Amino acid sequence: MMLHPASHKLVMQRFILFAISFALLCLFIFPYLYLVLNSFKPPGEVISSTPTFWPTVFTLENYIAMFDQLAIGKYFGNSFIASALSTILSIFLGSLAAYGLNRFQSKISTVFLLITLGIRLIPGISVAIPLYRIIGDFGLMDTQLALILVYSSINVPFVIWMMMGFFDGLPKELDESARVDGCGMLGAFMRIIIPISMPGLATTAIFSFMLSWNDFLFALLLTSTSAKTVPVGISEFLTAYNLDLGPMTAAAALFSLPVMLFSYFMQKYIVSGLTMGAVKE
Amino acid sequence: MSLFFIYPMFLLAANSFLSNKDTSEWVGFHNYIHVLTSKSFHQTLLNTVNYVLGAVTLELAIGMMIALMLSTGFKGSNVIRTLMLTPLMISPLVCGLVWKFMLNDQFGILNVFLYKVGLIDTPQGILWLSDSRYALISVMMADIWLTTPFMMLVLLAGINGIPQRLYEAAQLDGANKFQRFWHITLPSIKSVMVVAVVLRMIDAARTFDIIWVMTQGGPNNSTALVSTAIYKSLARYNQEGYASAMAIIFMILLLGICSVFLKYFWNPGKKAS
Repeated sequence: MMLHPASHKLVMQRFILFAISFALLCLFIFPYLYLVLNSFKPPGEVISSTPTFWPTVFTLENYIAMFDQLAIGKYFGNSFIASALSTILSIFLGSLAAYGLNRFQSKISTVFLLITLGIRLIPGISVAIPLYRIIGDFGLMDTQLALILVYSSINVPFVIWMMMGFFDGLPKELDESARVDGCGMLGAFMRIIIPISMPGLATTAIFSFMLSWNDFLFALLLTSTSAKTVPVGISEFLTAYNLDLGPMTAAAALFSLPVMLFSYFMQKYIVSGLTMGAVKE
Repeated sequence: MSLFFIYPMFLLAANSFLSNKDTSEWVGFHNYIHVLTSKSFHQTLLNTVNYVLGAVTLELAIGMMIALMLSTGFKGSNVIRTLMLTPLMISPLVCGLVWKFMLNDQFGILNVFLYKVGLIDTPQGILWLSDSRYALISVMMADIWLTTPFMMLVLLAGINGIPQRLYEAAQLDGANKFQRFWHITLPSIKSVMVVAVVLRMIDAARTFDIIWVMTQGGPNNSTALVSTAIYKSLARYNQEGYASAMAIIFMILLLGICSVFLKYFWNPGKKAS
């Protein structure tokens, strides 16, 4: 088959582009792949001074050791409960607030929005100091409630920010017609606005769940035994069981896997969520 | 929300004026003076600036490169984009662990690779995490790995939003590839880029997990960022006043830098056409 010189050049160009981006892709996948492969190596091989990429034998020893040493199931439960409940709470409060702010454009709502954005700028660590004290004063130290409350307050500003964008796109006539049909303010919100903005809510919920799921700092400060989450559990391998890197890789791989698969499947929502804040004018 | 954010902020501000030893003693600006004149604070501030500038610049450069390549829409670009998301949702803690593992002095795979290629003489050639010359670079690598996909996605969305006719017009006018990038792509995605950069700057400046897992601020404070310094003075040395003053100064600096950045580079009203 003869190719036209110009299209031949084009094919070459595309191939080079593909090759370069494929090489970069390998670089970006490598660390996680390496972690996962390591978790299937025998414990001794994980810390061998001549590391190899592929395990010589695939074994579940690290996973068994991990279940032995950590109450990992409980930590997963804790992580899940704290993330899920705080997401529900912050989505509920945040979307109500965003709706209110969006529909009653006034000086007050601008002020609220500024505060909301300001909170996004505050380093977690600087709030963590007094938060530690407050949680202690309430006697909530090492409880799930503490984590749920703290994660919710981190996420609410974020939810407001995201949902304001979505509500902006909904015409006001929608809730007006609902009012004419006899819905109250809240009724219009619950029956008309919420169902329409489901995609937006889903995106926002994914991100707020991730923020809580991946949090380490607050969980480290506010929990010790009964409400401990997975990240804190994993971090303990670094101190108490310093040489047990095998089980650590197992725990880390297991902890990230659901999130990773989830991010592939929910790609559409994640991309729109990430770009929404920045791309919308 | 106000209970857990506004009130803590007041407490924080109040604490910063209290003595480290006796929390009821009012010491005025003593803590602030102490922080601002302390050599180690200057060091952490410098580290933080280096870290943020280095990491965010490289993330922007690499992210832009990948986004530009993917935007040409060659066969397989969608699959590559999806797989590129791998680090995106990983927790910073796990990211720190993975890199700590790969950069380990005894069994780190990166050194073995460099040794096999012949770039270093022994498998222990570069002590990534225990040599103070390389430690900051090591933690930056982890951050770059973790967040470049974010940069890439945002930039890609921006590039895909540029109307194709702009490029066609430029091509008719005889603009070459670079000129098209410089005069069309860059101005069109400027506001997107600025928002992404500012968000990343804030998050990079606040980085705690990665550093804490990989180096805890060491060796010799070479990777001590403001966030780890605050945590250390609070949790290890119990200096609440000092830590609070540090946090307040840090926040003011961060707010200042971000607002300057947004003011000068972000004009959403003005769109390049």
